[in-house]
Amino acid sequence: MEQELRDTCKRLLEEGAVDVIIGYGQSMPDGPVCPVFIKKAEDVGRLVWNRQCFGNLATYLTRKEIKALGKPAIVVKGCDERAVVVLEQESQIDRASVYVIGMACEGVGDPPASKCGYCDVHMPRFADAVIGEVANEPVSQDGRYAELDAFMKKTPEERFAYWTNELSRCVKCYACREVCPMCYCNRCIVDKNRPAVIDTSSTPMANFAWNMARAFHQAGRCVGCGECARVCPAGINLRLLNDSLAKAAEEGFGYRAGMDKDTPPVIGSYALQDEEEFIQ
Amino acid sequence: MSDTNPFEPKIVAYVCNWCTYLGADLAGTNRLEYPSNVRIIRLPCTGRIDFNLVIKAFEMGADAVLVSGCHPGDCHYTAGNYHARRRWMLARPLLETLGIDMRRIHFTWISAAEGRKFQETITEITDTTRALGPYEGYRKLAEASA
Amino acid sequence: MSEIISREALLRAVDEWLKQGVPVLGPSRINDAFVAYAPLASSDALALDGYIHPRNSIKEAVFPKHEKIYAYHIKGSGVELEDPERSVAKQIVLAARPCDAAALPILDHVFNWDFKDAFYNARRAATTVVTLACTEHDAQCFCTSVGLGPAAENGSDAMLLPLGDGTFEVRCFTDKGRELFAGKTESSGQAAKVPAGPPERLDVGPITEFLKDSFDNPIWNELTLRCLGCGACAYECPTCHCFDIVDEGNAAGGYRAKNWDSCQFEMFTMHASGHNPRARQAQRQRQRVMHKFSIYPQKFGEVLCTGCGNCTRNCPVSLGILNTLMDLAAHLDTTGAK
Repeated sequence: MEQELRDTCKRLLEEGAVDVIIGYGQSMPDGPVCPVFIKKAEDVGRLVWNRQCFGNLATYLTRKEIKALGKPAIVVKGCDERAVVVLEQESQIDRASVYVIGMACEGVGDPPASKCGYCDVHMPRFADAVIGEVANEPVSQDGRYAELDAFMKKTPEERFAYWTNELSRCVKCYACREVCPMCYCNRCIVDKNRPAVIDTSSTPMANFAWNMARAFHQAGRCVGCGECARVCPAGINLRLLNDSLAKAAEEGFGYRAGMDKDTPPVIGSYALQDEEEFIQ
Repeated sequence: MSDTNPFEPKIVAYVCNWCTYLGADLAGTNRLEYPSNVRIIRLPCTGRIDFNLVIKAFEMGADAVLVSGCHPGDCHYTAGNYHARRRWMLARPLLETLGIDMRRIHFTWISAAEGRKFQETITEITDTTRALGPYEGYRKLAEASA
Repeated sequence: MSEIISREALLRAVDEWLKQGVPVLGPSRINDAFVAYAPLASSDALALDGYIHPRNSIKEAVFPKHEKIYAYHIKGSGVELEDPERSVAKQIVLAARPCDAAALPILDHVFNWDFKDAFYNARRAATTVVTLACTEHDAQCFCTSVGLGPAAENGSDAMLLPLGDGTFEVRCFTDKGRELFAGKTESSGQAAKVPAGPPERLDVGPITEFLKDSFDNPIWNELTLRCLGCGACAYECPTCHCFDIVDEGNAAGGYRAKNWDSCQFEMFTMHASGHNPRARQAQRQRQRVMHKFSIYPQKFGEVLCTGCGNCTRNCPVSLGILNTLMDLAAHLDTTGAK
């Protein structure tokens, strides 16, 4: 598959169909896999495809330095492709001017990342070029939120204590925000100071406010790529937090971000029949 | 709390200008007494009520928060309350996951004609919150961050 | 003749210090994959093996991520100012890696340069640093390329060197170290064998030379494309020390605080006018590398890096100082000159 990927990218660059390939490469000879930006056809040998291809490259589609490189081709796994769909839904990219190379993916990580255990997008669905083939098993909703369901069995006090403890380690580095393809605001709410809505200090209360705000801004948008949790230097279980909103969107509205670009997103739309038993 | 200084909850009510605020006004003109524990904050529409405002209220010492606006179909801006409703349908599971005390967050539709409903709602929330006591969880969080 | 301490005796000492009310910061297992320096609740929380380097650094002991520098209360028509507690209670950092401890003397320069930072100095004076020498390294370690090594003594008050059988040789370098371990060690004929450490991965000299005139070099645009502009590298780096001053308050009062800041954030050099001299990620990354390997050495004679590798380990896209330096070294090789 790696060779087919390189050949496809070589052709795209030689034909001038794209200006840059956003893909996975090796940072150092034995080093971890990292994002690479290939602009010349002779450099496609730097592209790799293996189980260490973590990283949701869709986050680069909205970064100004990358946009300045010209028309991109982007290498995506199924989970990353969902992010591309959401970006298109939210009018952040012009889908026609991005060439999507979808990789059939059996999972990343060794042992496999937990998100891969209940993935139902092993095969890309909207790519311009598909490389490889792998079976796609549907996964029940219960499997998807197993960790969250187990967590919700705790009492509210236990949950509050858990998150106070987890989030106290947050250093406000915003790696979670930068790595997330859905966090593309030019000026994030936490960077606003007229007025300041969220305290930028790293205190238990201010960390709570930041992580809550980011989680809520992912309502109905988080595609579950798990990158936020993987990159957090403090090891905070961010996946659990974002899953609670993904589950609310799925259970309440049958909606999963990035599965189909024509379904209206849950936030930003409404229905006259939305249930309201909690509103007196 | 001692007998000489019994606990009185602080309630923050985020209300929309066109319905609930006028409903509160009507309660006033009709001399319907409601507890003075409530601090009313007027916004143009529930659609403008940011999730962060509720959190800020708790951060600043509120013991309970009310969010109230026009009935569905009556929004002065046509659809603001629909957006708010959708927003809260998604925000509540997040708050539950975090272990926020959901007994302290209330939502109502109160129209400009429902002065009595405003009185009853505020009275009920104040009584319930007084029984629950101060929001210790958030107090401790604020103290740990002071 | 050497002094040794058994693991059990060391853990007993930790519990004793904690019982005396002395905070102990040490490597702790946060979850299966994660070891980080954290305040220890008991000696059970201390992790002495099974990891190369904790995910963070010990700088929080002398440079907290959030520190109040004064507070005020509105009283009637007046304002009451409140200074924070200036004296800092004694604290111990235990089992720090030598690359973390070595950062402290390097930071001493900037915090005592044109302004003596009383907050930093008070914490520094109150902290005893006990290092744990390394027995292995990973691909991200490069302490030997910046003049350090697995048993470097810089910044250490005392060092524990694993003897391989669960006991440690104890070497005390300062009075603080001697005072801490007085009466806790036994004499022995055993001496620890210190491993060689990571191979020298590059020669920093030519890179420092290149950096002097590299401000306008287009290579920065290429090397830094994948940088996402978060603060993970700066915040987990033992030597990064930039901070933001914030004022928080309301009608009743407020405070001013010092918070960690990162030169990689877009807002870092944003002026009130709206102009941003480092508006692009390439400029911000250039600044990071130049600060560490050109500007700081020019001012203070020491490189602002101890080769711990945390930047690369924590970077979401595996960028980090070592990668950047090696790419620069490769560029110098291929171009032959600056």
